[in-house]
Amino acid sequence: MAKHAIGRLRMRRRVINTLTTRLVGLGGGAVIAAIALIFFYLLWVVAPLFQSATVDATTQMTAGSEPPLLLDVDDNSEIGLEIGANGVARFFALSDGRDIDTFELTKESITQVVRAHGGNNRYVLRTQSGLLFIDTRYAVSFDGDERSVAPKIEFPFGDTPLDVGDLGSFEVYRTDESVSIAGLRTNHELVLIQFDDAPAGLPLEFGTTNEVPLENTFDRVVFGPRGDWLYLIDRSGTIEVFDIGVQRAPRPVFRGQLVPERAKMLAVEPMIGRYSLLVADDRDRVTQWFLVRDEFGYRMAPARFFEFDAKPRLLIAEPRRKGFAVVDDQNRVHLAYTTSNRVTATVSLGETITENAVLSPRADRLLVSGDGQLAVFDIHNEHPDVSATALWSKVWYEGYVEPVWSWQSSASDNAFEPKFSLTPLAFGTLKAAFYAMLVAMPLAIMGAIYTAYFMAPTMRRWVKPGIEIMAALPTVILGFLAGLWLAPLLEANLVGILFAVLILPPSILLFARLWQLLPVGITKACSGWYGAIIVPVMIAVLVFGMEVGPRIEIALFSGNAKAWLLSELGLEYDQRNALVVGIAMGLAVIPTIFSIAEDAIYGVPRHLINGSLALGATWWQTLARVVLLTASPGIFSAVMIGMGRAVGETMIVLMATGNTAVMDMNMFQGMRTFSANLAVELPESEVGGTHYRVLFLAALVLFLITFAFNTVAELVRQRLRARYGSL
Amino acid sequence: MAARKTMGWFASGEPWIWLNAAAVGISISAVIGLLLLIGIQGLSHFWPADVEEVKLQGPTDATTLLGEWVGSESIPAQQSREANPSVELPGEELTVSRRLLKTGNRREAPPDFRWINAHDIVSTHTPVDAIAIERMEWGNLYGRLISVTIDQGEPVTGDAAVAALIAGIERVGELRDSVSELEHGAIQAVNKGLERIRLERRAHALAGTTDPQDEARLQRLETELQAQYIDAESELRAAQASLRRDSAQIRLSDGRSVDLNLADAVRAWFPNQMTLFGKLGHYASSLLIFLTEAPREANTEGGIFPAIFGTVMMVLLMSVLVTPFGVVAAVYLREYARQGAFVRLIRIAVNNLAGVPSIVYGVFGLGFFVYFVGGSIDQLFFPEALPAPTFGTPGLLWASLTLALLTVPVVIVSTEEGLTRIPRAVREGSLALGATKAETLFRIVLPMASPSILTGMILAIARAAGEVAPLMLVGVVKLAPALPLDGEFPFVHLDRKFMHLGFHIYDVGFQSPNVEAARPLVYATSLLLVTIILGLNLTAIMLRGRLEARYRSLEG
Repeated sequence: MAKHAIGRLRMRRRVINTLTTRLVGLGGGAVIAAIALIFFYLLWVVAPLFQSATVDATTQMTAGSEPPLLLDVDDNSEIGLEIGANGVARFFALSDGRDIDTFELTKESITQVVRAHGGNNRYVLRTQSGLLFIDTRYAVSFDGDERSVAPKIEFPFGDTPLDVGDLGSFEVYRTDESVSIAGLRTNHELVLIQFDDAPAGLPLEFGTTNEVPLENTFDRVVFGPRGDWLYLIDRSGTIEVFDIGVQRAPRPVFRGQLVPERAKMLAVEPMIGRYSLLVADDRDRVTQWFLVRDEFGYRMAPARFFEFDAKPRLLIAEPRRKGFAVVDDQNRVHLAYTTSNRVTATVSLGETITENAVLSPRADRLLVSGDGQLAVFDIHNEHPDVSATALWSKVWYEGYVEPVWSWQSSASDNAFEPKFSLTPLAFGTLKAAFYAMLVAMPLAIMGAIYTAYFMAPTMRRWVKPGIEIMAALPTVILGFLAGLWLAPLLEANLVGILFAVLILPPSILLFARLWQLLPVGITKACSGWYGAIIVPVMIAVLVFGMEVGPRIEIALFSGNAKAWLLSELGLEYDQRNALVVGIAMGLAVIPTIFSIAEDAIYGVPRHLINGSLALGATWWQTLARVVLLTASPGIFSAVMIGMGRAVGETMIVLMATGNTAVMDMNMFQGMRTFSANLAVELPESEVGGTHYRVLFLAALVLFLITFAFNTVAELVRQRLRARYGSL
Repeated sequence: MAARKTMGWFASGEPWIWLNAAAVGISISAVIGLLLLIGIQGLSHFWPADVEEVKLQGPTDATTLLGEWVGSESIPAQQSREANPSVELPGEELTVSRRLLKTGNRREAPPDFRWINAHDIVSTHTPVDAIAIERMEWGNLYGRLISVTIDQGEPVTGDAAVAALIAGIERVGELRDSVSELEHGAIQAVNKGLERIRLERRAHALAGTTDPQDEARLQRLETELQAQYIDAESELRAAQASLRRDSAQIRLSDGRSVDLNLADAVRAWFPNQMTLFGKLGHYASSLLIFLTEAPREANTEGGIFPAIFGTVMMVLLMSVLVTPFGVVAAVYLREYARQGAFVRLIRIAVNNLAGVPSIVYGVFGLGFFVYFVGGSIDQLFFPEALPAPTFGTPGLLWASLTLALLTVPVVIVSTEEGLTRIPRAVREGSLALGATKAETLFRIVLPMASPSILTGMILAIARAAGEVAPLMLVGVVKLAPALPLDGEFPFVHLDRKFMHLGFHIYDVGFQSPNVEAARPLVYATSLLLVTIILGLNLTAIMLRGRLEARYRSLEG
């Protein structure tokens, strides 16, 4: 009985012991697991950015008309639309090809259908008697949780075609209030028509019609950005750009060639926003052209090429992004993206030769027609807009004169080209860290040398925790003081403060020389207290500098140093600048560096110092030749850890700079760092979007930088510890 | 001779020692200077300064202003001329001194802060009858009291007006409390009840179990709540009408007289009549308001109680999460692990956890905790509330978890330090007496190390209380509608967003439209935060010191 109980007790003790061992072991592993989890989670979010696209054939069906003049897909990529020459519009489900509804738009036969640019879902049909405008609308209704969509057709300007006379190629551009038509008369005359966008059903009132004779003949007319520009293009690739913004009086601004000499232009297609034209030629290339303005005026610039291994035949621009699809003469489709200069997929479209194709607004479906057949392809192409080049190299963005590094993530509308270059942010991060280290390194290391080696023990007992407690000071307070107290103070007393900093070292030396004149008894007694004795001197220097600052400013910089900086040196002065960040972040980093460096110097084995002194070296010689040499790995590791902190610090840079992503080493200008950028933009970015993932990439880069610094520092420290142990 | 002496002096290293000493001097003075700056600015905010009447003679006209002096500066005369060429500057002076006057009256005579060139001032004096009134909106009002109108009766003037004003403001204060009690009590309860009914219905619909009996019950409940709402609302209307009964007539410095409804007034005082004790009393009550009340006016006025409360809640929750994890890891490193490559790897991991920028923790917390874990919890447990997220949005729990991860190294390092100091003999004694390793750990080692665990916890709390960047991503807001702890089930609302002192500083200092008005409050908040954090750190240092003494006696 008792034996049994003892056995149970022993059993219990053993179980508890084993459990504890397991649990504690788990806890140790959990630390590594935590850091690994952070790394791999960030990586997992970032990874989709660099995946290539997939294109999969799903449904095939017979076309309702032969051939379909226009194909389109609704906003939710559920319903397809085809308009045939017989004047019938057919809506069908993309998932299985079944008919949803058909509408007879006109009795006349149709020769061409044009999608109006600007507003969604407006199409213009060309019949024998003129142009017929139609709008499509998708009415969504719910029956319980069952969602159903009913397509509708409306005639905004009545169901009789408008007679606009004889027209060749034409385009329609719709703004909030008006509709513009630009077309070519067969006799090489440009016609511009503009009228109010009347509410549905009201009779149309023609506004202005403008007929402009052209010197050259053209085959294609394309509206430019905001409907204020017009591209006229002929079959050989000659382009003429007109400014039609002013009173609709066209003014030619540029004339040039879109394809190289002796090359043939195969297709031309405008991209979203109409800033860019995609031009395909018979050298198996697609070129992106856009209008730029430099000191010589406007010109079309070839921003980038896409090389393929076959002749591009059809160009299809994505309706909401700067991407496009190319169908080549081997009936393959290539998905490409302009900003990133990337081709994300190349897939065969099958046996049937593609005649017409369209991408859905979300660019997740491709609808193609050919030989009386329609086929649907599912596209998975989430982040074609990012590539290593787009992230780190200069990119030629639409409308820019030359390739630049730029971070501009927010988009007011779809036509905006997001600029995700991490280079300016990396630059800002390094710039902030550089100025912070410039302030912190000398102060912290020199301070550590004095504290560990020369300072009186009584003073050291107070000074060391005093400086270390600064590490506990919340950075948000340092940032607040830097932004709202130091920045205005520095701006008002720029010359005085810089002057004080300049004369500080000579003043200290002068004071030290004068100190030597005191009786030896006093200097000996105070030898460990220099750090306190010097403080009033420095305060006096600072006050003196601030006092004479305005006089110097008047004498040397005609009373306004900031204006002088700008006019003489070309340096702009921001109130919240790198200098402010350097000082504030320097203060934040000093305790980190100071503490580790001080430990390293203080920990130098005593017998090394004694040996050196016994051999006749002075204290200073011993410090310079023995102590610092021995402690240098520790000081190095302190600097590394300090760097890591400066690189990742958020609140100070957020509050003490203007957070503009400029790339300029000027210490009187601000910057935008990775960390501040994350704090500002991440809460507002769409989860899973490109912007969100790029921000995670920035976090990952930050993680890796600091990981490198910290790991090196820790390895160095571990070795140093072993060495001190062996000495 | 002298040159050689100087050379020798340089060679002796003496100048370098002085320069090194100067570096320490700069660092220490920076710490002390910053603390002094925050202390002085933060504490002076609550002092009821004298209200001065300032007569100015500008280039064209004379004006009279009433307000408190809050600052001064001097700038080079040239810059003043360039900035404002119309202002005539006398003679050859190099610098111009300007003073900043807080004139208040943001609604009646903006702006509420004015820079005044010193030489424009003709005269200043402190009128005894100047009154300062703190308002619910539009900041302070400065002027002179003409009369007080009670319930549309005859205006009361003179000393009676002062008494009536004080009584009226007191009455309004009580009424305001009862209005807010109604709003947050009865009416909010009704709204919450209605929302619960909606969610219950949706949960039934999602589960496909719509029971007519249940539906009838819900409908009964709904009618009942609606009746309650009508009662509460009429009561509220009556209280609100009564709130706006009285008004005071104030003459401004420019001679205009304005009508101030007492419902808009918070406090009124005659700063120039106050004795030192009166001022001290006012100071104390201002401080109390600051610490215990909710903010007003886009956080630029009133108190910071919700921010204090949110910070404390978050930090407590975090310390509950972080301490076990940190202690277990430290015990592993010191007591269980065989020293070798794996331990070195763990040390590298600990150092990296300490060194990874806090914003990266925020990014990780937002992605992993909020969207991934929180999103999954919503899918599983709160499908009826979707698409409105319950846990799939930044909130208290996620902020605490993120900060717990961030402060793990602090606890590990401190605990390890404590474990290292425990003499080997103590452990060996325990084992020799037949205790298992686990028993030695729980009965001997951990109790002995508990002060250093506490130290680690305090340091972790101090670190977390000052951290802002990650919180901006995982749960802090500028104005939280409700505290994360209240009388409603389940009492602690882990899913709620909260306010935080550090974020408050950032938000009020940098996002508010009227920085000048907000600045004193930011200093005061900074002072509070610094006091808390330095207090915690000093406690930790003291604890550590006592611990050292104890171990020394143990070894001896």
